[in-house]
Order: sequence, then C-alpha cells, then structure tokens
Amino acid sequence: MQANKDSDGGWRTFVWNSEKKEFLGRTGSSWLKIFLFYVIFYGCLAGIFIGTIQALLLTLSNYKPTYQDRVAPPGLSHTPRSEKSEIAFSLSDASSYKKYTDAMTKFLKKYDDDKQTDQMKFEDCGGKCQLMPERFLKCRDTVSSTPLPGRGFHTREAWLIVKLNRIVNFSEGGRPPMNNSVEEFLLPKLKPNLIPIFCKNKREEDADKIGEIKFFGLGEGFPLQYYPYYGKLLHPQYLQPLVAIQFNNLTLNEELRIECKVFGENIGYSEKDRYQGRFDVKFNIAS
Amino acid sequence: MGYGRSDSYRVATTQDKDDRSPKKKKGAKDMDDLKKEVPITEHKMSIEEVCRKYQTDIVQGLTNAKAAEYLIRDGPNALTPPPTTPEWVKFCRQLFGGFSVLLWTGAILCFLAYAIQAATEDDPAGDNLYLGIVLTAVVVITGCFSYFQEAKSSKIMESFKNMVPQQALVIREGEKVQINAEEVVGGDLVEVKGGDRIPADIRVVSAHGCKVDNSSLTGESEPQSRSPDCTHDNPLETRNIAFFSTNCVEGTARGIVICTGDNTVMGRIATLTSGLETGKTPIAKEIEHFIHIITGVAVFLGLTFFILAIVLGYSWLEAVIFLIGIIVANVPEGLLATVTVCLTLTAKRMAKKNCLVKNLEAVETLGSTSTICSDKTGTLTQNRMTVAHMWFDNQIHEADTTEDQSGASFDKSSITWISLARVAALCNRAQFKAGQDQLPILKRDVAGDASESALLKCIELSCGSVRAMRDRNKKVAEIPFNSTNKYQLSVHETEDLNDNRYLLVMKGAPERVLECCSTILVQGKEQPLDEELKEAFQNAYMELGGLGERVLGFCHVLLPEDQYPKGFAFDTDDVNFQTKDLCFVGLMSMIDPPRAAVPDAVGKCRSAGIKVIMVTGDHPITAKAIAKGVGIISEGNETVEDIAARLNIPVSQVNPRDAKACVCHGTDLKDLSQDQMDDILRNHTEIVFARTSPQQKLIIVEGCQRLGAIVAVTGDGVNDSPALKKADIGVAMGISGSDVSKQAADMILLDDNFASIVTGVEEGRLIFDNLKKSIAYTLTSNIPEITPFLLFIIVNIPLPLGTITILCIDLGTDMVPAISLAYEAAESDIMKRQPRNPFRDKLVNERLISIAYGQIGMIQALGGFFAYFVILAENGFLPTTLVGIRLNWDDRSCNDLEDTYGQQWTYEQRKIVEFTCHTAFFVSIVVVQWADVIICKTRRNSVFQQGMRNKILIFGLFEETALAAFLSYCPGMDVALRMYPLKPSWWFCAFPYSFLIFVYDEVRKLLIRRNPGGWVERETYY
Repeated sequence: MQANKDSDGGWRTFVWNSEKKEFLGRTGSSWLKIFLFYVIFYGCLAGIFIGTIQALLLTLSNYKPTYQDRVAPPGLSHTPRSEKSEIAFSLSDASSYKKYTDAMTKFLKKYDDDKQTDQMKFEDCGGKCQLMPERFLKCRDTVSSTPLPGRGFHTREAWLIVKLNRIVNFSEGGRPPMNNSVEEFLLPKLKPNLIPIFCKNKREEDADKIGEIKFFGLGEGFPLQYYPYYGKLLHPQYLQPLVAIQFNNLTLNEELRIECKVFGENIGYSEKDRYQGRFDVKFNIAS
Repeated sequence: MGYGRSDSYRVATTQDKDDRSPKKKKGAKDMDDLKKEVPITEHKMSIEEVCRKYQTDIVQGLTNAKAAEYLIRDGPNALTPPPTTPEWVKFCRQLFGGFSVLLWTGAILCFLAYAIQAATEDDPAGDNLYLGIVLTAVVVITGCFSYFQEAKSSKIMESFKNMVPQQALVIREGEKVQINAEEVVGGDLVEVKGGDRIPADIRVVSAHGCKVDNSSLTGESEPQSRSPDCTHDNPLETRNIAFFSTNCVEGTARGIVICTGDNTVMGRIATLTSGLETGKTPIAKEIEHFIHIITGVAVFLGLTFFILAIVLGYSWLEAVIFLIGIIVANVPEGLLATVTVCLTLTAKRMAKKNCLVKNLEAVETLGSTSTICSDKTGTLTQNRMTVAHMWFDNQIHEADTTEDQSGASFDKSSITWISLARVAALCNRAQFKAGQDQLPILKRDVAGDASESALLKCIELSCGSVRAMRDRNKKVAEIPFNSTNKYQLSVHETEDLNDNRYLLVMKGAPERVLECCSTILVQGKEQPLDEELKEAFQNAYMELGGLGERVLGFCHVLLPEDQYPKGFAFDTDDVNFQTKDLCFVGLMSMIDPPRAAVPDAVGKCRSAGIKVIMVTGDHPITAKAIAKGVGIISEGNETVEDIAARLNIPVSQVNPRDAKACVCHGTDLKDLSQDQMDDILRNHTEIVFARTSPQQKLIIVEGCQRLGAIVAVTGDGVNDSPALKKADIGVAMGISGSDVSKQAADMILLDDNFASIVTGVEEGRLIFDNLKKSIAYTLTSNIPEITPFLLFIIVNIPLPLGTITILCIDLGTDMVPAISLAYEAAESDIMKRQPRNPFRDKLVNERLISIAYGQIGMIQALGGFFAYFVILAENGFLPTTLVGIRLNWDDRSCNDLEDTYGQQWTYEQRKIVEFTCHTAFFVSIVVVQWADVIICKTRRNSVFQQGMRNKILIFGLFEETALAAFLSYCPGMDVALRMYPLKPSWWFCAFPYSFLIFVYDEVRKLLIRRNPGGWVERETYY
C-alpha cells in the first residue's frame, strides 16, 4: 500500500521534479549530455556503416551482378498480370476487362515506333534492337492500335503479351533445343535462332475447349539475336522481344487452365516457381 | 509465485464468497489479536475458580453430557489445517505468474493481429498465428517445467510429515477413559505421564516430578518442571500450565483443560502462521519492474511507429497490425525460459550444498537479504548441553566444546580433577541408551536431563567408561534433585575393596553446595575453606555465570567408618547421615555451545554487510554469551548495561547511542511502541532479543521490514514459524526443525548448518548479478530483431528478418549462451560488498536498457543490415534500388521486377533471395552475439581479467554457431523454415561489427574502471 502511494505521487514528480529541476528524472544538462552522447555515438555508427557499404560497393561490378544463381534460369512473364494467376472478365461488361487492356496499352508504350526511331541510341547492340520485324508490328497493331480499349477482349479474343525475363550476360537459348529434348508437337515450329514458345491446355479435358491459339511476334518465339542482354549500363534502351498470344475461341463461362512454356538449352523449370521458363494462367470469361 | 503469496488466490479459494468482505475485516482484526500475547489468566486463579469457570469437578471431572455439550460448542480439539493450495492453482500460478504475463499478452496480441488479418485479407500471412502459438507453447512448457521443479521440492517436504492420532486419558464422571485427543474439551480433567503428548492447554492441579519439554513452543529443549503453583505472571513462563502438543518428559500430572484446538497457544501460533500475508519475493518485484520497463519501451516504440505509419499513409488496420507486431517483437521470448533455468540451476547447486529451496524465486532472496534474524537454540548452537568450563584447584579450566573434539584440552593429571570427575560420574542419573557403542560419544543418545547428559559425556570422554566406574562404586542411597534442596546426593561404596568407608557425593547449585562444605580440595589436598578461597569461589562462580553458563558445584566426603559401618542403612527420606562439613571439589559449568561453523559464518555475513540479529526464547545472559561467542556481538562492543557497569553509573544515564550492541528482553519488548522498536533496530548494529515469544519474533521481523530491510529468518521451532512465514525468506532446519517450521519456510538447511546460509547468500548474489548479464545479453538481440520490421515499414525495403528467424534466435541460438552466463564466476568478492538496496539496485534498470538497446543492440542491427545489403547487392539489388521497392517486391503477380542491373525477377526468385537475407541476418546476429556474450561476462572487469574459464559459455558459443550452420545448410530447411544456405563469404559480413562491439565495450569498461563514479559509470554501469 505504502509503495503504491509513493509511486502514485511519484509519477508526477518523475515527469517534472520542480525541486531538482528534473524532467523525467534528469536535469537539463544531464539530458543534453546523454543526447550529445547518442548523437555522436550514432553519428560514428552511421559513418562506420556507410564506410562498410562503400567498401561493399567497391567490390561490385557496374556491369554484372556478383551472383546470378538466383535469377537464372529466366522467368517467363506476361502482360496483363494475373491476380492469383487468373484472368477473368465478362464480355458484356467493358469495365471488367478495362484493367487488362489498360495494362497492355501501358506496357506497349515503350515499344512505340516513334520512340524507337527517334532515339538513336542503339549503337551498343549493333543495331539489333532496332530490329522491329513486320510480324511483330502486326501483333502490335492487332493488340494495341486504335481503338484499343476493349478490342480483342470483347470479341472472345483474349490476348497475352509474353516476354522472357532479362538476365545480364545470359544467353537464354544458347542454341535452339535439341530435337530429342522437345515434345513432338513442337518440331514443326522449331527454327534456328529462335527460342520457341508453346501454349496448351493444362488439363486433358480442356483440350477441345481452348480453341485456336495464335502467336504473333518475331516468329513464334524469341529470336536469339536479342540475347545476351548486357545490362542497364551498356544497354540503356534495350527492349526485349515480345510474343503476343491470341486465344481466339475460348469456351465461355468455364475455367480454363493454359500453360505456356519456352524451350531452350539454358531454360529451366522449377516445381516451386511457376513463372520460371513457363507460366500457367486461368481464363474465366463470362459471356 | 510463492506458496500462499498472492491475495487473489486466497479470495479464489474462499468458499462462501458472499460474506467475503466482512470476513476479511474480521480476519484482519483477528490477526492483530493473534499477534498480541496469550490472554490466558487461569494460571493466576485458584483451582476452585478454574473448576467453577468450566463447571467441572476436581475429582469427578466433567459429566459426559457436559463434555458432549462443550464438544459441540467448541468443536474438536484439533488444529485447523492450513488451507492447502490445490495442485491446479499452483499450476496456474506457474502458468500465469510474473514473467508469463508478458508472454501471454504477446500471444493474445498475436492472435488478435492474425484475427484482424484473417478478417480483412484473403490470404493472411501465417506469421502472427505461428508466433502466437510459439509464445503460448513457451509459456506452457516453462510453466510445466517450474511446476514440476517445485513439486519435486514439495515432495521432499511431504516426507517430513507424519500424522499419528493422539490419545488422551481423561477423567469423566469419576472414571478414567482413554479417548481420542480430538474429543477433549475445555474443563476436562486429564492425566499425563512421561512420554505423553499434552492433549490441550491444561492448568496443572497436581503433579509428581512432572517435567515437560516446551521446545516446540519456545525452542528451548531443556525440560521444565510443572507444579500446581503459579510462579510467573506470564502464562508462558508459569509452572502450572502445560501446553498443547508439548511433551511430558517424565513424572505425572493432572490438570484441567483450559483451551482446546485453535484456541490453544500452539493453535494461535499455527493460525497466525497460516494467516500471514507475505509479500512478493524480491526477484518477483524485480521481474515486475522489468516487465514495466519492457512494456514501456514496447508501447513507446509501437505507438511511435503507429503514428509514423499513419503519417506515411498506411491504412488504420495496417497500422494496428504494425503496432501489435512491434509490441510483440519487444517480448523477449526466450527470457522466461532462461530465467527459470538459471534459477533452477542455482537451486540445484544450492541443494547440493544442503540448501533445499522450496520456491524457485527464493533462490535469489538470500542474496538480497540485509538482515538475518536467527534463532539461537539449534540454529546457532548445537542444542546440546556441553561442559564448557571447570573450576578446580582455584583455577578455571576450559573444556573442549567443539563438535568434533578438535579444541584444546586441559590438564587432566590433577588429583582434584579425578575426584571431580568421580563426583560428576557418580552423582548422575543419566546413562547412555543401549546399543550405541559404535557411535562417537558425543553422538550417542542419553536418557536423562541435559546437564547430567553433558556431565556424562564429558566424563566418558575424558575418563573412560562411566558405567564401569559406577559398577565399581555401587550406589547405596540417593536423594534426587528437588527445587527446595537444590542439590542431589548419593552414597556409594568405594572402589577400594579394603576400604569399607562410604563415599558421599553431592552436586547442585554452587552456593547451596558450598554451604554444606567446610573444606576444599586443592591440588589433591583438603584445605579449610577460608575467606580467601570462598572469594575465589565467588569470583569463579560469577565469571562462569556471566558467560551464560549453567554452573554446578560438586563436593564429596568419605564418611567415617566408625559412624557409618558397612551395611549402614541410609534413610533418604529422613536423612540420618552427614550432609554438612563436606569437602568442596570444584565447579563445572555447561552451555549449549555454538556450532563450530557459526562464528565464521556470522563474520562472513557481517563483512557482506548483513546485520545478524539473534532472537531467542532463552535467557538474556545466555543469549548474550552465545552472541558474543559467535560474533553477533563483536569483541569490544558494549551494551548499555556494559557501559553502565564499566562507568559505574545507572543505566538511565547512558546515552543509548553510545552502545552499538543491545540485548533486549522480551518483557521490555512488549511495552515498546513501534517508534521505539524502530529506534532500537536502527541505532544498534548488534542486537540480541531474549525471552521472546513467537508473536514478538514476528513483530521484530515486521519491524525490520518496515525499515526497508529484506529479512531472512532462521529457526527450527514452532515458535519460529510465524516469523519464518513473514520473513522475506524463512530458513528452517532440516534435521532438528519441526514440521510446522519447515512448512512455513522457503528454504531448508538440510544439514542444520547455519554456515549454509552464507552459501545461500553467495549463490543468491551471484545469480542476481548473472541474471543481469543474462538479461542484458538476451535483450540486446531484441534491437536487431525489431529494426528490420521498422525499416520495412518506414523505408519500404524487403523484410530483412522474418518471424521464424527471430524465433530461431530467441528460442534457439540465444538460449545456451544466455543460460551459460548463470555459470559465470563472480567478478569480485561478492561477499565483501553491501547487500543490494532493493530501491536503487534493480535487476533491470534504464542503464541496462540504454546499453543493450541503445548501444550494443544498434551495432548489432547494423551488422545484420550490412549482411542484408551485401546479399541483395551481390544479387543485383543495390541499396538505392531497394528503398520503396516493398510493394512490388511483395506482389505475387509481379514476376518481372527489375533490379539495379536491369534484370527481371520472378516473385519466387526474389523471395528466395529475401529468405537468404533472413538467414544471413540471423547468422549475423549469431556472430554479433558472440561478442555480446563475451562482453556480458563482466560488468566492470575486462574480459582479459575475467578470463574465459566458463566452459559452458565456450560450449554455448560453439553450440549456437553449429545450430546456425545447421539451420542454414541442412537440406530441407528451405521448405521447413525457409532458410537457405549461405555463401561462406556472407558469414563474415558481421565480423567487423562483432569486433566493434567487443572493442567498444572494453573501452567503456576501461573508462568505468579508470573513473569510478564518473559519467560513463553513471550512465552505463548496469
């Protein structure tokens, strides 16, 4: 009880003890001293930390990260992005697919003709980047030329723009896949200097529901002449090749799982990472 | 916490809750009442008055009807057993007491945060749920652990208990009946004989050589005679009352029951004991203080960042989740287990040194103790009368009183000594119990009273078998000791078969014996007892008496053969032989000598700044003598009475401030006001309380506590139990202690050795220091655990350290090093410094927090962050890119996140890097904790002075490193704990910071040593 009383009364004097001129148990000069100490102490610590970080930066190359074992083999990513790997919209409701068309429009801005022709900064890659073959332009037309919003999607066409993730100094394909490493249906698509991409239904029972799949781009895959990528510093304007995939006749009102995969010598797949060298996406189009 | 320590529990077990408050009020009044002295007055009444009061008859006893009526009115004659704590309450107390509260709060907050997340998000992160579960598991497991630990100690206690139903012989309607002692009622006429236990408080109406052993009540085992006369106003001292549950040693007595059950003196003590509220243990208070501090820091941090989060534009719900996260992150998950294990280890270590600790928290209490109130008999002394001095040949000889006969011996060649030994052996009814020949003489049991046993053992030791001597000198007549004669004599045949004379030997109160003498034996020659020799006798008598010793005089005479021929019929009732003109042989004085180890122990306590107070039921002179003997009153210190005697002035003229020592009599104590009492306790450093009642012992303890002392009480008797219970730590004696005292105590000295207390103090102080170190070590890693989350919120970087890795540190790698600090040796002689001041010297203070959180913790955090930045930078994310990247980083649908080099990362790829960072951060904390555990070894000394002799700590260093490596490299850890193998170079990222910590702290400690009391010490010495 006694102690209780003490602490009750003690609180106020603890916060401000007018007798000893103490605030929270310390006098002004005491506060100043401890504050100064911590300022200096943390100042020194910050200095040491920045010093070590500087030392770290010295060990790093400007052109290539020290380790690339986590980023390779490259991922295969697509636009528009899927939420929980699902793309769902309703044909009758334009707002339901607006975010997808917007995302594609935004993404393709970088690939606009004028940007590529205006800025002549492609000398480092030997002009390869300027290469903008006709087929791809067609794809861009199909996907993005005016009036883009709604186009494609409302006519039961679903589009995905696919790119292979960039990795510095990494030759994705190296060379095209050996015949025996590739499934048979791919054989007709195999071309030299091309990393082929192929999509199919994930589930057997969906085989006749997904309709026709068309590939637009520089051949039905990623041309090898775009690789390797030399990094931001050497390749500031590098635009990676794209493949546009058109799903022409997806069955409506049904969840369809489609898997797309690239094939190449340095391409790998992982159980856990569903975007490494492949991806699968669910379409759910309501009428 | 402790047994019966919490108020809430008492309320919880009260059956009738409705009348709780009036009952409690009544209880409070009762307690005060119980603390007062016994209100018995029957001893001053005449027997007739007593009979009238209880409507009983001195011959016939109660009628059966009356007895039945009284039994219904007063209830059975038995002590109400103290409310035992049900096991589940004990368990719950372990589960929810003290430190656990903090973890429970943390766990509940975690579940709350998870509930919020689950309600608002589709796919909530499981972290909070897991953390909550882990916290709960930690509390429950630690709770179980300490419950079983204490249960083990209690089991040892249980074994002490033995309940034997008692019988009593009562006279009802004129007939003697043997009934259960429980059925005895007030007014019953009861008969007791030697060997019985007194069934109730009785007023003696007739007695024949009745002696009772009141040791269970007073602590003094010397049998006291009982007779119908009132000899003292104080009912406890008067001869005509025998008390419940004391033992009748010999003789018979008849008495009227005046109190039964809880109303008896013993019952009042028992009720007083079980009703006492005891405060929290010092360590419990410290832990509470620690919880306050840590909660303060947690709430402060939480609120700051809550506001910051709101300012930064997070939603309310997110901010609340952050708030909870930060508060929970401040909870040191492993500390509860660490503290429990540290205390358990110390308890084990103490048990090995014969200190059994009943309650884990009491382990530390002895270390904080500033006052020890010690009982004398049986605690400080051997509780065995021993011959200490002899006076013969006009010279005082010292006998060996040590337990192992290691002391000095005296000259045994004198003829006078042989005569004295013969008198002491023959005029002595004590004898060794059979079948103990193989035991050392001092350990043998003796039938007979304490003084005679002392003489018997003394003679047996110095002159060989007493029985043989008695056989050679056949006893022909004997007058036993009685209080009118004050002597005992016997007549024996002589050893010499040709000598037909009889030998008369006498012993008794010296002045009585001297009266019977006309000559004195000096150097074997009889000399007339002249004035000079008489004065020499007086001086010797006074001197021995002044030592607090019980002095007996011895004389003998060879009866002339012509008057007492062989076969003379000695008549002891109507004395028909010479009892005058005897020859005085010498004096022997006895004392219950102090235990051998006590003076040393008292000295150590003294140098450790602990005040040792003696509180005894014995007489002041004896108490003072023992106090001087063991150093409780140190050499050269005088009491008021001593000063008065020295200066030859009345006691009232002496300034009490001049006297450091003080001997206070129980009867004086009764009249003292609280202020006067405080005055005595404050102004005297060396205090002896004599003739104290159990209630007064309690008052003394309360007085010390009122002055802010942390009080330890040692005692063995029932009379000590209220004080034992009230004390901050009660220490009972394991061998000689009564069950009640053991129940009331927190600690038991299994070998009855007061010196074990010193061990207890030492261990207690050491564990307090080491707990500080352990806590400083554990708390430090809190900062590198919290800061990642804070930066995650504030600058939006990928999370540097996850919940799982935090738990791996707190409950994994930090555990063994933290516990190993409990094995750390003391930095300086902890027994040379003052006991800690419970108001100033806290277990955890702001300086410890400042050092652990503000300084070392920050360096550690930088070490961790450095490793984090190294890994991300080497993988392509430079620090500048990281700021603000969090939202995209944690976006599952973003599978082309660009790094500094323009590379694109899928979600899973960058998460693996993030978890690798967690692992590296974790390993870095382990690395900086190496330095931390080494600097935490000492608080003032350099590690180079302290050395690295703590093997457990070295083991801990290797263990935590091995564990960290295992967690990082064991296959499958990526799935189980999301920890990934590190590249060897990443292990070294934190090394500079580890080194920095070591250097920084060595410099800090150097400054503390160089400038004692300087700014560095004032701000950073914890």
